[in-house]
Amino acid sequence: MPKRGVLVAWAAVLALACVRGSERAPARELRINLETEPPTLDWNLATDGVSIIAIEQLMRGLTRLGPDLRPEPDLAERWEVSSDGRTYTFHLRPGVVWSDGVPLRAQQFVDSWQRLLAPATAAEYAYFLFGVKNARAYNAGKLADFSEVGVRAPDDATLVVELDAPAVYFPALVNFTVTFPLRRDLVQRWGDRWTDPGKLVTLGPFVLDEWRHEYRLVLRANERYWQGRPPLDRITAYMVQEGSTALVLWEQGLLDLVHIPPLEIRRYATRPEYLRCPLLRGYYYGFNTRKPPFDDARVRRAFALAIDRSQFPALLRGGELPWSSWIPPGMPHANAALGLRFDPERARALLREAGVDPARLPPVQIVYNSDPTHKLVAEKVQAFWRDNLGVRVELVNREWKVFLKELSTDAPPVFRLGWGADFPDPDNFMNLFTSYSENNHTGWANPRYDDLVQRAAREPDTEERQRLYDEAQRILCEQDVPMVPLFVVAANFAVQPRVHGFRPTAMDRYFFEQVSAE
Amino acid sequence: MIRYALGRMLAGIPVLWVVATLTFALLRFLPGGPFDKERSLPPEIMRNLERRYALDGTLGEQYVDYLVRLAHGDLGPSYKYVGRDVADILADSVPVSLALGAAAFALAVVGGIGLGLAAGARRDTAVDRAVALGSLVGVSAPSFVIGAGLILVFGLGLGWLPAGLWEGPLYAVLPACTLAALPMAYAAQLTRAQVVAVMDQDYVRTARALGVPEARVRRRHVLRNALLAVMTYFGPLLAILLTGSFVVEKIFAVPGMGRFFVTAVTNRDYPLVLGVTLVYAVLVVVANLIVDLAYAWLDPRIRVGNTER
Repeated sequence: MPKRGVLVAWAAVLALACVRGSERAPARELRINLETEPPTLDWNLATDGVSIIAIEQLMRGLTRLGPDLRPEPDLAERWEVSSDGRTYTFHLRPGVVWSDGVPLRAQQFVDSWQRLLAPATAAEYAYFLFGVKNARAYNAGKLADFSEVGVRAPDDATLVVELDAPAVYFPALVNFTVTFPLRRDLVQRWGDRWTDPGKLVTLGPFVLDEWRHEYRLVLRANERYWQGRPPLDRITAYMVQEGSTALVLWEQGLLDLVHIPPLEIRRYATRPEYLRCPLLRGYYYGFNTRKPPFDDARVRRAFALAIDRSQFPALLRGGELPWSSWIPPGMPHANAALGLRFDPERARALLREAGVDPARLPPVQIVYNSDPTHKLVAEKVQAFWRDNLGVRVELVNREWKVFLKELSTDAPPVFRLGWGADFPDPDNFMNLFTSYSENNHTGWANPRYDDLVQRAAREPDTEERQRLYDEAQRILCEQDVPMVPLFVVAANFAVQPRVHGFRPTAMDRYFFEQVSAE
Repeated sequence: MIRYALGRMLAGIPVLWVVATLTFALLRFLPGGPFDKERSLPPEIMRNLERRYALDGTLGEQYVDYLVRLAHGDLGPSYKYVGRDVADILADSVPVSLALGAAAFALAVVGGIGLGLAAGARRDTAVDRAVALGSLVGVSAPSFVIGAGLILVFGLGLGWLPAGLWEGPLYAVLPACTLAALPMAYAAQLTRAQVVAVMDQDYVRTARALGVPEARVRRRHVLRNALLAVMTYFGPLLAILLTGSFVVEKIFAVPGMGRFFVTAVTNRDYPLVLGVTLVYAVLVVVANLIVDLAYAWLDPRIRVGNTER
């Protein structure tokens, strides 16, 4: 008896399904896949890519990045730098209003930065503004009076920022989400809930309509957007974690824009809906330079020279580009000529010179966080070092947080990591390996390198800046080699033909204000 | 009966305390904390975060603080989802898992018992062999294989059903079938074995000899007795299905709580891990109670809480 019930139910379901199959994709609506729940829409607190993608449809900053990734006017219609390079004056665009009709005022930037830096906010990315005068002391609680921090609004249309030291990349930095203006009145009124639908007030091309947690965000066109209402009526951003499910939903016409999972890229690469975008994201192997055998720069150079980067694209197939220096291609001051190239002869000679007998060397450990791609890379590197140097290599994988803990306490002999640009300036990459960087897990310190990176950060002259970064990269990637850059990665999309104007950026950020859907 | 049920519920409280304590301790043994990320944070920012989330006290202080809050029904804030309390997160996701789990449970119970009965009553026939083969596949194939297979056939091949998302009953079909596959197969095997054993019992033979119609024999004598053993399996099964499945929710993009069993741990979102663990523990306690009560109804010999004289 129960069997018959099941059959009836099935038949009903299938009949319904057939009726439904003829549904058409809604016009002027874009359905994308965010992949996971954005941890927050509070732009002072957001640190992850998913939150930032959502926030950037809702909000705008002082500057935006142009097609060449240079900062262009956005909410600031122009800005000036003082002759000592320490004071920036931003002039706000007139006529910009929030979605509730309140005009944009310079004080809203000051309010935002104060909240970002306040110790009680506990914003992880407060350090983005540590270059602002006294910001770090205020964040650490050593300074209670915010008026001593170098940001003020002399009038509604002017924002003045004083820096501790000149930073030529500052206009690029203020395109980053954490620096966006904030409505203090609304945050005070709603508390932690101020980003909920119905409460959140923004000034970008879209406004928040619905947020079903762990499932989807719905944005709708902002009629009050200062550049005019965008062509799309609606963006529905689903959170489909499983890449292959998202791809099937794309095939079924239920999603318009998805990332293609690595294993499927080859199958899609020849289709017209396929879109590839190289990213400012480097993948590297680091050495623990405090412990033998990697306390000897010659050994590190030898290991770097034994890696044949040209094999990674065929292995990973995600559009990876082999890259032997650290500043990624597409970023100003990148230099393809730098870095150590594959040279097994020289590698072996260097090992001999360092007095290392590969046969007697205990197995070298490569530690990576558990992930199929990282495993493939590690196996490849293991083979390179075994075949070209005669060294035994052990692979160890760790759960992500365990791996991070190990990196920050006692880094493994060899480890893998990556870095993606927060703002498109070489400082964001080169700073990583200074002796004072929390992200330098190699234990390597070179005062000359630190000095070059600091000087380049304040150098306004492009040619001189190039020279400084080239020298710093030579120290990092050719001479001392605390790390080996392997390749830069790309993003791979499947886009429905009905979608027009989707142009992803190398920063792995997307703007849908120009996108339309038939 | 009511007094018995209430007593059992009260006895669950120490169980929950043990679960909360063990989970708290195990989480803190795990290396890596909630704010360890690819981008390391400056020390002053780390201190601000630890202060905000009251992680700056000793472990003992944090434990006492946690228990006190728990006793007041406060599960605390999530570390990962800024500004959301664990209670909010559970309120959003538990109903989804309950709906999907209930559908899968119904499918597993009805389908499993039906198939098991059909196979056991027709021992060594084609029906029996087909059920044996089907249940073998159901028991041994992991849910991501079954889920992928269903997506391939009904989603991509035939195009009848959406391969994911959660927009209505139609969207629940594939995930519910995937979730039900294993328990249905297991229940079918269990029921078949019991039916076969019961069919050989004297009372079944006696009933038949007395001329009781076969359908009535099967319903009153065979099924009812065979179900006793199968019931014990349904208690924990109900709890497992209702709390959602990480794999099934991930494959079909269902916004339930199953995902948090894994993601909350990988994020070291301590309050969320404790929250989902407690929900699971409560459901296990309740489901076991329901099974015990059903047991008593099925078998008059096991009348529990027999206090009235």
